[in-house]
Amino acid sequence: MKYQGSPVSRGIAISRVFCFHDEPLRIDERTLEEPLRDLELHRYHSAIATAKQHLEATYENCRICDKEKAMIFQAHIDILDDIQVREEIEDAILLDGRCASWAVATVYDSYAQVLASSDDELVQERAADLKDVSVRIQKILSGNEPVSSLEDIPEDVILLAYDLMPSQTVSLDPRHVKGIITEVGGMTSHTAILARSLGIPAVLGIPDLLKHVKNDTLVILDGIDGIIITNPTDEQLAFYESKQIAFLKERDYEETFMPRKPITKDGLQVDIHLNIGDADSSRYKKFLPYADGVGLFRSEFLYLGRAELPSEEEQYEIYSKVLRNLGDKPVILRTLDIGGDKKTDCIPIPAEGNPFLGLRALRLCFAMPSLFRTQLRAAFRAAVNGNLWLMFPMVNSIEDVRKAKEFCREICDELEADGIPYGKNIKIGVMIETPSMALMAAEVAREVDFASIGTNDLCQYTLAVDRLNPTVRQYYQPYHPALLKLIAYVADCFNTVNKPISICGELGGDSRFIPVLLGLGIHKLSMNTSAVAAAKAVICNTDYRQARILAMKALTKATEDEVRALLNSSAT
Amino acid sequence: MLSKEIKIQNPSGLHARPASAFTRCAAGFNSSITLSKQGGKPVNAKSMIMVLSQSLVCGTTVTITADGKDETEAIAKLTELIASFTE
Repeated sequence: MKYQGSPVSRGIAISRVFCFHDEPLRIDERTLEEPLRDLELHRYHSAIATAKQHLEATYENCRICDKEKAMIFQAHIDILDDIQVREEIEDAILLDGRCASWAVATVYDSYAQVLASSDDELVQERAADLKDVSVRIQKILSGNEPVSSLEDIPEDVILLAYDLMPSQTVSLDPRHVKGIITEVGGMTSHTAILARSLGIPAVLGIPDLLKHVKNDTLVILDGIDGIIITNPTDEQLAFYESKQIAFLKERDYEETFMPRKPITKDGLQVDIHLNIGDADSSRYKKFLPYADGVGLFRSEFLYLGRAELPSEEEQYEIYSKVLRNLGDKPVILRTLDIGGDKKTDCIPIPAEGNPFLGLRALRLCFAMPSLFRTQLRAAFRAAVNGNLWLMFPMVNSIEDVRKAKEFCREICDELEADGIPYGKNIKIGVMIETPSMALMAAEVAREVDFASIGTNDLCQYTLAVDRLNPTVRQYYQPYHPALLKLIAYVADCFNTVNKPISICGELGGDSRFIPVLLGLGIHKLSMNTSAVAAAKAVICNTDYRQARILAMKALTKATEDEVRALLNSSAT
Repeated sequence: MLSKEIKIQNPSGLHARPASAFTRCAAGFNSSITLSKQGGKPVNAKSMIMVLSQSLVCGTTVTITADGKDETEAIAKLTELIASFTE
């Protein structure tokens, strides 16, 4: 049988399945008469006392030997002790007459939802811990074993479960598990995050699978396309065995390029920079030694999902933190890019018929100067802590550039007058993401120190296609020759005056397209961390002279299809 | 009733251990104690889940309000505690 789920962690596993029967609790939704409620409350109190004993014992067991594990159980003790949740459960029992398990389930659920809707990923992940504690209490109330353990699972299995909770996965030995399948969950659930961090292939969200699959069944798990096959045929086995080998080979091959310098076969050195969107260094830290800097630090995360604007101090701290992490390497901070598809409570933007053509990014900053000035002050102050470059988005004319630079001058004068230390030699640049800016590249290059091409928006504005509108998806063509001509012109203008020009849109990390970009004169690419290894592998295998020829040929094509055909023929 | 604005300056903010220490300290006082971000609704400072839900990252300014007999002591102790976080 073949099943389709969500692929949340890449890779292929072929192995016997271990069915972990820890099915969801059936919640008994009973209402109690008043005289019984005190007794029910007592049942709840003794259940949480038992839960606390278990948690404290587990905590003690791993406190010394496994600090990471201990921290999870410490967090569970804190959740169990939470006074507000406890009072609410007591009210649900005493006032509403709910039975203890029902009260526990509903109250924890509502708090889990509060955490899950946070914009902060660290907070979102805590929702799984709340659920974990809730299940623990409910199991004690129903007289079951508190938590089924995953400690003794057999070796080399694909683990199949309804759902996995932090207190279970914490004792999981990743060497024993070849793959993970669960009936519930998706890309952002606890299991998905864990599987990716351990590099275990995983497919989630296949309802009722435990009912159909017996222990020890042979299973193929395809974490690339989200497919599960039980009792595969010989042909299917052969197909997926070769898919697995190809995947591992490709990954291992690309990984070997991670520590290498991105230099073409004939000696052209390419700069690889990272795109980052928050201050949480744990997500990009391990890539820092292998990158030349941060080519796009999006500052929107500071403004999204909140009711009040971030203060100068808050921004100063966060920018400084990223700059310190990077040391001497450049960090290109892009000023606020809100508007278009991105909205936030703290910045009221009137409803617009065409938000992508409306009050967006730099235009919004000009309309709300105090917001802009706060960000600029924070950035200039933070610049003393590293190598900051400042970049403005959605610039559409030379007037825009000059106006933004004027703001910068004013801020510097202000800081100077106040005697506050600030970065004096910050490089100032712009995003090139509209056709007008691309066509004015020669003039732009005289005004700024550097520029970066935002290919997603450049494509949308050049081809007049809303990139978020699925009904016009086929008109969104990132390899369109018109776009290539614009990129080529911009690169020429900047290379002529010897000023840095980079690409920071999706195209910059598109390993298939990188040879064309190199050939067009773009030798600085900024991309998501996940694209770095593959990009380096492509660059190291490219001959720059041939890339020039490939780019020249691409520029002669009339349609995107013809460009694609050219790429395919050169790849083989 | 007593209020005080405090800036969170430890790198990891009021997450994990610091959040736990903070709510445990708050729970030790009789006064009712709330915490709010600028422009946000006040939440129970004795509830770790509510404190966590505020996503108090490094650099956030919060207002702590205490109401009760030991309010002065509570504010002093909590201010001191937040300033002492280093992780």
